[in-house]
Amino acid sequence: MSDISPKERLDRVLSGKPVDRPPVICPGGMMNSATTDVMDECGLFFPEVHKSAEAMARLSSAVQQRTGFENFGIPYCMTVEAEILGSEIDFGNHDCEPKIAREYYSHCREVVQKNPRELARQGRIEAIARAGYEMSRSQPDIPLIGSITGPVSTAASIVDPMTFLKELRKDKENAHGVLDYVTEFLIEYARVLIESGFSVITIADPTATGEILGPKMFYDYAVPYLNKLVDAVHGMDTHAIVHICGRLEAVKEPLARIHADAISTDAMVNLLDIKEVRGGGTVMGNVSTFALQLQGPEVIQRVTERLLENKIDIISPACGLSTKTPVENISVMTGTVKAS
Amino acid sequence: MASEKELHQGLFDAVVDMDEDLAAELARQVIDEEYDAYAAIEEGLARGMDKVGELYEQEEYFIPELLLCSDAMYAGIEILKPHIVREESRERHAVVIGVVEGDTHDIGKNLVKIMLESAGFEVIDLGRDIKPQAFLEAAEENGAEIIALSTLMTTAMPAMKEVIDLLEEKQQREKFKVVIGGGPISQSFADKIHADAYAVNAAEAARIAKELVGISQIARKTA
Repeated sequence: MSDISPKERLDRVLSGKPVDRPPVICPGGMMNSATTDVMDECGLFFPEVHKSAEAMARLSSAVQQRTGFENFGIPYCMTVEAEILGSEIDFGNHDCEPKIAREYYSHCREVVQKNPRELARQGRIEAIARAGYEMSRSQPDIPLIGSITGPVSTAASIVDPMTFLKELRKDKENAHGVLDYVTEFLIEYARVLIESGFSVITIADPTATGEILGPKMFYDYAVPYLNKLVDAVHGMDTHAIVHICGRLEAVKEPLARIHADAISTDAMVNLLDIKEVRGGGTVMGNVSTFALQLQGPEVIQRVTERLLENKIDIISPACGLSTKTPVENISVMTGTVKAS
Repeated sequence: MASEKELHQGLFDAVVDMDEDLAAELARQVIDEEYDAYAAIEEGLARGMDKVGELYEQEEYFIPELLLCSDAMYAGIEILKPHIVREESRERHAVVIGVVEGDTHDIGKNLVKIMLESAGFEVIDLGRDIKPQAFLEAAEENGAEIIALSTLMTTAMPAMKEVIDLLEEKQQREKFKVVIGGGPISQSFADKIHADAYAVNAAEAARIAKELVGISQIARKTA
């Protein structure tokens, strides 16, 4: 099994099959792995790359080679969905990923529903799909991960998030309506990616945390729409990873009901606890991004080794990497896993 | 006719029960009955919000509930505020708050603002993605005692240090207390960048702010 390709290794782990060692990956999207070190080296920079298929393919290739991550992961932000759904995007700068400048709607009831299939042909999706098509054909042994923003986070990126959170209580009907609509669109987006050659879909839903929503709303609003999206991805014969942010004590029970092939969590979570509540299953994580940015190689090696000792299935950063993370630090993390 | 005490209890309950309409209705009754508006805020609305803070820390309430409770509180305050009898002797304590440069996540900052206001602070909210210089300018302009910095992103954590460095550079560090908080922030990070305090959540931020200005009960700013 020593000559197993990174793609097969990730595939086997996500299918619950044994492998020689854990894959070490960074899925893109919220967990963007394009750092300024790599951009400086290859001469492709934020924010210009976000709209160019060619630049994304080249930058992702450079990221994979320089960091040692065993995957490609695009896009590099969580604004592709909200942009198409009407929100104003600040594309950021060299150091900073795009972010939402202004949500398009003030209330859930104002959201105008358009055809999800049509929407999946708009904005930057085509460029992302073309970059993926290129990468999946030129480097078929490297898994290509499409990173999608989760339903709750996408909804809170098109409706003012403070109002949206209140309307989860005050206007349940329209809140569900927005989530359902957004999920339909995300499914069509995932379909375009999968048809273009993406081998895994990662869904990060940082607004859908136990800390923000509490267990009841997590159960009512996060779980059903995440599952609808994950089930649809499974229906397209593709694995889905779900990343949940923050502390998870409050939502352990609903967490067990998420259909994902792997659950990825933040650094403060003990992944063995997640394994326990899910009755086994695959977990992914959770090297502190703070350590990766600001600590030295010894600390990073120690943190990574502890995850290996705990038999964590997939090793990855715990959260969004800072673009200023030194590439040497990432190499220590990926090198430690590969040497195991 | 409801007694003053009953109205205070009603306002307390309206806030805890997230009932914006009831809070407004009871606030109007306070005015109609010519009870003290200030006492109604203190004994009813603010005490209700204290209870909400407790429920939040006990994980009975989460962010949607906290936001709805604060809407109820503000609905009451809105009506009562113009009727507060001005007392010049009441102390004013101001806090400048914002999400540091590079981050636009402001839910946490808004919660802290709510808890600070319900604790009687005057809060100058700069918003999100705020440059270090803007914190300093606003704090000087408004005679603030505290600068409160928030971020959700590890990426933006160095921007907190930049604010403190700027204060030191301008020899203004002693003039202001700097409180930091947010998802990735910890006490050790606060120590490392020489912040005055770290608040783990919004309710604690309000308690710490009160300690930092050296009072247990703040007189509410008059209309």
